[in-house]
Amino acid sequence: MTLTHTETQAVDLAVLATYDDAQIEGEPDFVVELLDIYLNEVPRLFDSIRKAITNNEGITAKRAAHSLRGSSGNLGVLQMATIAGELEHLENNSGASATELLMSLENEFERVKEILNAERQRRSP
Amino acid sequence: MRILIAEDDPISCRILTANLTKWGHEVVVTRNGHDAWQALHVQNAPSLAILDRVMPDVDGIEICRQLREEKTDSPIHVILLTSLNRREDLLEGLEAGADDYLTKPLDAHELRARLQAAGRILELQESLRQRVRELEAAIAERKIAEEALRNLSLTDQLTGLYNYRGFINLAEHHAKTARRSKHRSLLIYADMDGLKEINDRLGHRAGSTAIAAVGEILRNTFRECDIIARLGGDEFAVLVTNMQEPETAKVLERLRRNVHAYNEASNHEFTIALSIGAVEIDHEHAWSIEDQMARADEVMYREKREKKGHEKAQEAQGKGP
Repeated sequence: MTLTHTETQAVDLAVLATYDDAQIEGEPDFVVELLDIYLNEVPRLFDSIRKAITNNEGITAKRAAHSLRGSSGNLGVLQMATIAGELEHLENNSGASATELLMSLENEFERVKEILNAERQRRSP
Repeated sequence: MRILIAEDDPISCRILTANLTKWGHEVVVTRNGHDAWQALHVQNAPSLAILDRVMPDVDGIEICRQLREEKTDSPIHVILLTSLNRREDLLEGLEAGADDYLTKPLDAHELRARLQAAGRILELQESLRQRVRELEAAIAERKIAEEALRNLSLTDQLTGLYNYRGFINLAEHHAKTARRSKHRSLLIYADMDGLKEINDRLGHRAGSTAIAAVGEILRNTFRECDIIARLGGDEFAVLVTNMQEPETAKVLERLRRNVHAYNEASNHEFTIALSIGAVEIDHEHAWSIEDQMARADEVMYREKREKKGHEKAQEAQGKGP
C-alpha cells in the first residue's frame, strides 16, 4: 500500500475562515468553539476505532471513521479526512490495514493539533 | 422557520445550528433518528427537517420513508445531509421521499439558498391548505343552505305538486279565509295501492313513474284553484275548494274515470289503484286542517280494508269448487 498523504495540505485555514460568517457579534469566537469540539472529539474517535479493531468490530470502526472523516472535512483538515475516508471504505474495517491507517491518523493529528492550536491562539489569545 | 436538525456529528450540528440561528430560524436540535422522529410528532412540530443520512440508530433515509407513509395534509419538508457524494445515495434519498439534499462539508451559501426554496414550497403548501379549508367550509355552508331550502320548499320534486308543508300551509290559509263562506270544501285523501309491489317487481324507477303518474292524474282531475299535494311516499291529498253542492260524488267519479283511463292506455307496465277517503267540510264552524285530514284518513283506511276484504272474498270464491 502506497500512502501519499504528505503531498496533501494538512489544514486548509480558508475553510475555517468561512465559518466566521456564522459568528454572532458579542459571542465568543465561533471558530474557536468548533476547534475545541474537534480537538476533544478526535481522541475520542481514535479510542473508539482502536477498541473496535481490538474487538474485531468492523462496523463500529467504520462508523467512527465516518464521523472522523466528516468532522475533519468540515474544518478543512484535509489529510485527516482523506485517511479517515480510506479507513471507512476498507473492506475489513478492523484488519491489519485498519491498524496501519489508525497509526497514520494519529501521526497526522500531532501535526494538525499544532496548526489548529496556533490558529486557536491567534483567534483567542 | 422552525427547523429540526438531526445530526450526530457535533461539528456539523454546531455549524448548522449557528448558521440557522444567525439567519433568524428557530432550531430544534436532535442527535439521533429516534429523537428526531419524536420531535417531528409533537404539536407545533417543525415543518422543515434537515436529517443526516447516516445516524447510529435510525438513519435519515429511514425517517424520510416513514414520514412519507404518514397520511398528512402538511408534509414535512425534508433535506437530507450526506457526506457520501454518491449518485446512488442521492437517488436512494430522493426515492425515500426527501425533498432536497445537501452534501457535507456544508456550503453555507448553498444551505441558505436551499432553505429559501424550501420556504417558498412550504408557503405554497400552506396557502393551498388554506384554500382547501376555505373551499371545504364553503361546501359545508352550501350543503346547510340547500338543506334549509329543501325544508322551506313547498313543492314535491317528483310530482311538482305541493308537498306536505305546502299543503298544510295553503289549506290552513284557506280554512281561515273561507270561514263563514257559503261554499263547502272537499278534502280527499288518496293512498296508492300496491306501490310496494311495483317497486319490488319493476324497480324504484317504475315506482317513481307510478307516483308521478298519480300526480298527473290528480292535476288533470282537479281545478287550478284546488290544492293538490303529495304528502309523502304513496299518500296524496286534495282540498277541493269552493264547491257548489252536492258535487262530491261527481268529483270522485271523475277521479275514478281518469285512473281507469290511465290504466286502459295499456302502455304501462303497472296498474294504478287508489284508496280514497273524502270528507266534506262546511265553513260554518271553525276547523283545523289536521282534524279534517285525520277524518279523511280514517275514511280512506276503511275503504282500503273493505277493498282487501273484497279481494280476499273474490280469491276464496275463485278457488271454490
